[in-house]
Amino acid sequence: MTNGKDRLAEARRSSGASGCVECGRCVAVCPMAEMYTNFSIEMSPRGVIKKTLTGDDVIMDKNIWYCTECNAGTDMCPQGVSCRDLIRALREIAIEEKVVEDIKYCTRCGKPFLSIPVKNFVFDRLEEEPPNVLNLLGLCPVCRREIYMLRNAQVL
Amino acid sequence: MQEETTEQNNIITLEDLRPRREEKKTFSGYFMPRRHSGILFDPEKCTGCGTCEMVCSVRNVSKIAPASASMEVLRDEEDNRNFAILCQHCRKPLCIEACPTRAIEKGEDGIVRINKLFCVGCGLCTMACPEAAPLKDPVTEEINKCDLCEGDPLCVKYCPSGALTFTKGKKIRWIKGLRWTVQTVSFLLLVVILVGTFCSLKAGALSLSCPAGILQNIASSGTIVLVWILSAFLILGLTILAGRFFCGWICPFGFLLDLVDKITPKKIGWPSFLKSRMVKYGILAGAVGGSCAFGFQAFCPVCPIGSICRSYGATGTLNGANLGIMGALAGLEITERRVWCRYFCPVGALLALFAKIGLIKIVIGANQCKKFSCIQCAEVCPMGIIDADKLREGISPVIRMTECITCMRCIDRCPYGAAKIRFRWQKAVPGNIEL
Repeated sequence: MTNGKDRLAEARRSSGASGCVECGRCVAVCPMAEMYTNFSIEMSPRGVIKKTLTGDDVIMDKNIWYCTECNAGTDMCPQGVSCRDLIRALREIAIEEKVVEDIKYCTRCGKPFLSIPVKNFVFDRLEEEPPNVLNLLGLCPVCRREIYMLRNAQVL
Repeated sequence: MQEETTEQNNIITLEDLRPRREEKKTFSGYFMPRRHSGILFDPEKCTGCGTCEMVCSVRNVSKIAPASASMEVLRDEEDNRNFAILCQHCRKPLCIEACPTRAIEKGEDGIVRINKLFCVGCGLCTMACPEAAPLKDPVTEEINKCDLCEGDPLCVKYCPSGALTFTKGKKIRWIKGLRWTVQTVSFLLLVVILVGTFCSLKAGALSLSCPAGILQNIASSGTIVLVWILSAFLILGLTILAGRFFCGWICPFGFLLDLVDKITPKKIGWPSFLKSRMVKYGILAGAVGGSCAFGFQAFCPVCPIGSICRSYGATGTLNGANLGIMGALAGLEITERRVWCRYFCPVGALLALFAKIGLIKIVIGANQCKKFSCIQCAEVCPMGIIDADKLREGISPVIRMTECITCMRCIDRCPYGAAKIRFRWQKAVPGNIEL
């Protein structure tokens, strides 16, 4: 866990989280507010940054898995805090420490590539689509490209 | 307390700010549909040079940086197999559904655009897209997607090998117009002008009959009259030449079903335990056997095609039972398109037997189509015989000519020219994947 703590400190430093002034601009532009009905301050980038700065148990938190890793909050931040980089780093630590299971693994290569809440959001939106379209969503980007090559570029 | 609840209701959501636009359906859209413009890609011509990526990135970020392009060429150096990922401008784009900020819109001209003002670069559209066409710029983390350069794509202009072609889609669907004209004329001829024509008609030496009726005649009387067979041969010959052309283009009841289909666009689905296309052969056998047993044409009195032919004119007879059966069968159209023709019609069953040895076939080349996002052919097929799952997997579906009514809707609709009519002995499709 010491290694995890070091990495957490590194994540704080590299993303500039300590510069957060809690203005809440990132929350105003965060698309999660539209995506999830249970959107809360704990889930918002501001809440995650606050928790990162105050405690080491942030990687155990479910709320870091809702982010879509967009760049909206970073663009708005007056202090240049990259909430996306922070959440990416937190997720990496969480995966390596094997503390959270909220991650979708590619059905073909078995690598983690997406968080479960984001996947659920997209699947809910596309629930009327046929299953083979939804099967494509279960593939990581690399596998998808390989599938496209296999399916589409067959020239005999 | 009450103030609090009203405050809750006053929260402005995305629905208030940017409501989804409902697609307008116009009358002219039926015959002159909106153009389906797009870029077509031919993997056989592509050399993988990447010129398209370069010119696209110049337009996007004003410098040559293929990673910033709105398209991507996947290259396989070993087998020289390349594939271009580019937006197909789907009719029902999944990216629009998935976008949490509703930054993606389909314009009136059919081009799907990303509004950079609202796009936050989350990449959910890339995940939802069956082609994975919206691409994330690794430097700026913005999403780039093809907007067809507003009608004059640079990639097509500069492609040195001609692998990319720009299509504005077909303006007028002439097969559609022709089919509706032929159907209307034959309906008028068979029902209004010449009463009872389809079942049996004698005009001097020429005689014309319903082949299923003739079969029942033979069974009930136990004798074969050569004239009967010759008179049935006109339609059977047509079937051998052009498949079940009669069903799709001439049959007056089929025309009625097509009309009913126009007013019932929403289908509730046919129960799957009744989805056997062999039932119609059973009904045909039953009709012939019944005629043999009873000594009269067993099926003809309730035949909806016959009923509609006999219904009009001074001598027209359409009693309650006929009307009820015809109405009920036409009403089945709310479950699936052409339910009668798919599962029950004994005339169609007899024609299907002859279509099996027919001279033509419909082919849909997955190599030319290969678009998971289009699948319009399967949507428009009234008989539901085009396997959309196979097409999505890049396999050319086998189209059973016994079930195909040669209405040519798929040929008319395909924007890529992948659906074609071919002679039986011709090679199926160039580059067809054999599995």
